[in-house]
Amino acid sequence: MKLAKLVGKNLRRRPMRTALTVLGVASAMLLFVLVESLSAGLDHALSGSESARTLIVYRENRYCPQTSFLPQWYGERIAKLPGVASVLPVKVYLNNCRASLDLVAFQGAPAEELLATRGLTLEAGAGERFVREKDSALVGRAFAARKNLAVGDNFRFGNIHVKVVGIFASDEPVEEGVILTHLEFLQRAGPVNRLGTVTQFEVKIDDATRAEAISAQIDDVLVGNTVLMSVQERVKEFGVFRTLGFRASHVAQLVVVESLALSLAGGALGFGLALLIIRFAHVSIGSEGVAIEFVTSPRLALLGLGVATVCGILASLAPAVRSARAEIVVSLRSA
Amino acid sequence: MSLIELRHVTKTYRKGEHVVTPLADVTLDVEKAEFFVLVGPSGSGKTTLLNLIAAIDRPDSGSIRVGDVELGTSSSSRLADWRAEHVGYVFQQANLVPVLTAYENVELPLYLFGLSAAERHRRVALALEAVGLADRATHLPKQLSGGQEQRVAIARAIVADPEILVADEPTGNLDHESAEGVLELLSRLHLERKKTVVMVTHDPRAARFGTRRMVLDKGILREEAAAR
Ligand SMILES: Nc1ncnc2c1ncn2[C@@H]1O[C@H](COP(=O)(O)OP(=O)(O)OP(=O)(O)O)[C@@H](O)[C@H]1O
Ligand SMILES: [Mg+2]
Repeated sequence: MKLAKLVGKNLRRRPMRTALTVLGVASAMLLFVLVESLSAGLDHALSGSESARTLIVYRENRYCPQTSFLPQWYGERIAKLPGVASVLPVKVYLNNCRASLDLVAFQGAPAEELLATRGLTLEAGAGERFVREKDSALVGRAFAARKNLAVGDNFRFGNIHVKVVGIFASDEPVEEGVILTHLEFLQRAGPVNRLGTVTQFEVKIDDATRAEAISAQIDDVLVGNTVLMSVQERVKEFGVFRTLGFRASHVAQLVVVESLALSLAGGALGFGLALLIIRFAHVSIGSEGVAIEFVTSPRLALLGLGVATVCGILASLAPAVRSARAEIVVSLRSA
Repeated sequence: MSLIELRHVTKTYRKGEHVVTPLADVTLDVEKAEFFVLVGPSGSGKTTLLNLIAAIDRPDSGSIRVGDVELGTSSSSRLADWRAEHVGYVFQQANLVPVLTAYENVELPLYLFGLSAAERHRRVALALEAVGLADRATHLPKQLSGGQEQRVAIARAIVADPEILVADEPTGNLDHESAEGVLELLSRLHLERKKTVVMVTHDPRAARFGTRRMVLDKGILREEAAAR
């Protein structure tokens, strides 16, 4: 039907909205692929090891954080999913994505939650002071050694200026190379104020074997939300369509087809980005000496696009039904 | 037999405990090719009456017949098909789709008929010409003046050549000159194409055009003379 043509025009001529939605889906897809490839890598890396009873779903600074902005409130949504034990929103600031010779990695997260969820052991300094002082930082053992830092020192990097209040060791070797700060502090620190956005969420789940199912759900949360927003602002428009003689089912089709188009575009983009990032990650992880592999495969690509398609359709069903069911006169009266 | 026939039509809305009755036992006949003008104070039920005639809302009781279709008892999809073919609705605001050009907005209702692209083009061109906007076909709504937008909306309402046009305060948002243009356009459609027009308006100039006027007040419909 010619409805597809209408969808095409609508998407092309609201470029901002379309771009945002595609990016939203792409970042969901990005997470999905990273999670999927990472969990495969983790399985690999940890097989036979006793060190991990918990599967950490989203990992820190393994990809270029400059390109990843996620609305912080997604975290609350993800936390509500069944099987999710905790969600830590993290802002990552890296001096450089590619070169890893002198990597400086800041991570900002809510201080108390950070201390509670990460397996950190303070070798010097005090956790309470970190919680209390907004511009304080905990520095990983490896980084402190490399930069000759001790408790009480100031550390300045670019326009980020922190007080070192603790040095920590971690179960995770890669973590000992980072500087931990308050989330809000790091969000404000960059050249552009990024309050409200984070780089990633670290999601701990109850049952490692359910990682795949949970990441699919996370994807669904993010896609579903963007579809919902794009439909709500068009209630009146759909009322006009119905007045012109479009059937409820036509309106529902418009919503579903549009959502599907957005999901596929976002899915493909996200997958492409993920592949790029995974390549970068290989470079810098290698130099940090971390034995975690990302495993991508055609199977994962297909799975990803399949997930995008299914999510696109599923996410659009509720808004589609709601748009179709809405009484015409009520839609027309809405602003 | 009149074209539009309402018999003892009542419509109520419930807002919590509050019950509003915009139409109380309204009986009305509108003849084919009539230009029927409806006036009345704000909130008196004028829009509600138009919505019922245009079959985008249903009465609580009473019957509405338009042509040979009983609107109250038809299925929603049947009503949608009926609207596409028989009614053009002109709102107070043009309500154009912002991302579509004037041409594409007018073409919209034609998607519902199995027409070739060439035939759609022919009809859209005719409709735009009828409202005097052939040269604005590629403009987006935001590039048009309020009066032009409203004329595009009228082109959209007539493109499928329905016999009935309903217009709800079509000049309510327009300046004096644009309003004049819109009223004349509707009058021309009535006189030259024998459209049946049902229009709600507060515009005193509309008196020149209407073939009949009635007043709706507190849900009761009466001849204008009786109101004075
Ligand atoms: N969908 C609805 N839900 C609840 N109440 C409604 C609805 N539509 C109309 N009403 C109420 O019914 C009454 C009549 O409304 P209507 O829009 O028909 O009046 P009107 O004569 O067109 O007024 P105006 O001149 O202001 O456009 C009003 O009190 C209105 O608030
Ligand atoms: Mg009204």
